[in-house]
Amino acid sequence: MDINEIVVISGKGGTGKTTLVASLVPFLENPVIADCDVDAPDLNILFGETIRESKDFVGLKRAVINEDLCTKCGLCHQKCKFNAISEDIKVSFSKCEGCSVCEYICPTGAIKMKDCVVGQVFDSETEYGPMVHARLIPGEETSGKLVSEVRKTAKALAEKTGRETIIIDGSPGIACNVIASITGVKKTVIVIEPTFSGLHDLEKVHRLVQNFSVDIMIVINKCDLSEDGLNAIENYCKEQDLEIALKIPFNKDIVKSVSERKIPSLENKEFFDGIGFAKFVEWIKKTD
Amino acid sequence: MKIAVLSGKGGTGKTTVATNMAFNLKGAVLVDADVEEPNSHIFIKPRVTGEKSVYKNFPLVDMDRCNLCGDCGRFCKYNAILPAKNKVLVFKEICHDCGGCEIVCKRNAISYEKREIGKIHSGKGLGDIEFIYGDLNVGEVSGVKIISELREMVSDNEVVIIDSPPGTSCASVEAVEGVDYAVVVSEPTPFGVSDMKMVVEMLENMKIPFGVVVNKAGLGNDEIYDYCSGKNIEILENIPFSEEIAKLYAVGEMMCLENSKYSHYFENIIDKISKTVK
Repeated sequence: MDINEIVVISGKGGTGKTTLVASLVPFLENPVIADCDVDAPDLNILFGETIRESKDFVGLKRAVINEDLCTKCGLCHQKCKFNAISEDIKVSFSKCEGCSVCEYICPTGAIKMKDCVVGQVFDSETEYGPMVHARLIPGEETSGKLVSEVRKTAKALAEKTGRETIIIDGSPGIACNVIASITGVKKTVIVIEPTFSGLHDLEKVHRLVQNFSVDIMIVINKCDLSEDGLNAIENYCKEQDLEIALKIPFNKDIVKSVSERKIPSLENKEFFDGIGFAKFVEWIKKTD
Repeated sequence: MKIAVLSGKGGTGKTTVATNMAFNLKGAVLVDADVEEPNSHIFIKPRVTGEKSVYKNFPLVDMDRCNLCGDCGRFCKYNAILPAKNKVLVFKEICHDCGGCEIVCKRNAISYEKREIGKIHSGKGLGDIEFIYGDLNVGEVSGVKIISELREMVSDNEVVIIDSPPGTSCASVEAVEGVDYAVVVSEPTPFGVSDMKMVVEMLENMKIPFGVVVNKAGLGNDEIYDYCSGKNIEILENIPFSEEIAKLYAVGEMMCLENSKYSHYFENIIDKISKTVK
């Protein structure tokens, strides 16, 4: 079965990814929702979370030192490229990248690499379909791997239940978590605000997305915030042949809906009709 | 004294708070550690006088020495080196540069070559602010090494403001590691509060004292105040939602430079921090 996977990303944070994804969901037919913003997951706030299943996520292994065997020779401290082992031979879990060089070189066999739970993956039920979301334990590494795990779980769920759409809420930035959320999708929506910062961040994330073979659509949120900002974004899109699919003016009612934990597009139907949201939804759904 | 400005949720106003704090602290150094999407330079407008590359190593295999034993491939936890039928494949973007393959190779066939993953720029900006910022190259998986080099460039006896990446993953930890105080910038919406809780958990684990700046105050609801008073977290300042502030931000202008009536927000934040951190 061919699954229509759509990711919403932004480069810059706080431009409205989650609000847009939440607004799209009620109009999709039998979607699976995937929240891949694993260190700031928020979709569950609007959709509620009735967790059906949760599983621990094990990232890379971490070095654990057996004090009884350790002679404090310092070799591990010298060889660790991540400064994860201090001079007095204590491991900093947040710095250990699990390479296991220390385990290999330790002359007394005092170091063992052990599995470490760094997050959870949840399968929840919402009014609009199943939602896969996750939580990275604050300060943890391997968010890219956790994103891949969420995507894998969502895909398996879609295949099992015959659902043909997966809508993915991505993270800000351009690093491993974002790369993992774009890999293999059909369509990428970039939500951007009309500011100079927004333009700078759009340029970087657009260069990243160009490495993948995906359809790209731009959504300008709070489009009436600044005329100069809007011109800058529109000029860039024109130069780069990027299609602007939707422009959303700033509207306090959207903030109000979110604050009341309601879906903005359902609460403010007239406003969304007025900006051509239905046409945007059609593009999202299109599968040819 | 080192102060990190961070947020959990993106777009809450880290850069606004960091740049305006630096502007109101004479002699401060501003470090933009949001290396994936750095924005402070848009407001600080530095005259860039220094530029250096940040490198990561990746293995090079000398095929005259290699006997394709496979030890390096079995050792590598990242699948970045893969001995094949008659050559060894190296995937340099996913190599963590741990040095393991060189150590396990019995025939000394492995050496390292460096490649650039990003740059660090430095210079003086508006208000004579000393400024350094990192910029991760597109396609790279992690900016942690750049953040770590940024931190090495400032000394302990300077006043340093660090504009940190959003979220709570390894890049955020690297940016706040060893700071004396953290300013958490949030907004009064359920998303803002939910993401802030994760940052609070991270800072508590790292034993870093912190306070909260509520930005865009007046939008949303009171959840953030209930949460902070319940946890006894100090609110350093409320910066109101204002179209004028948003418009200045949009075109890359620092609000305090454009209008001194905004300075008191940041003076107040600095004053409260200096009472907490001696």
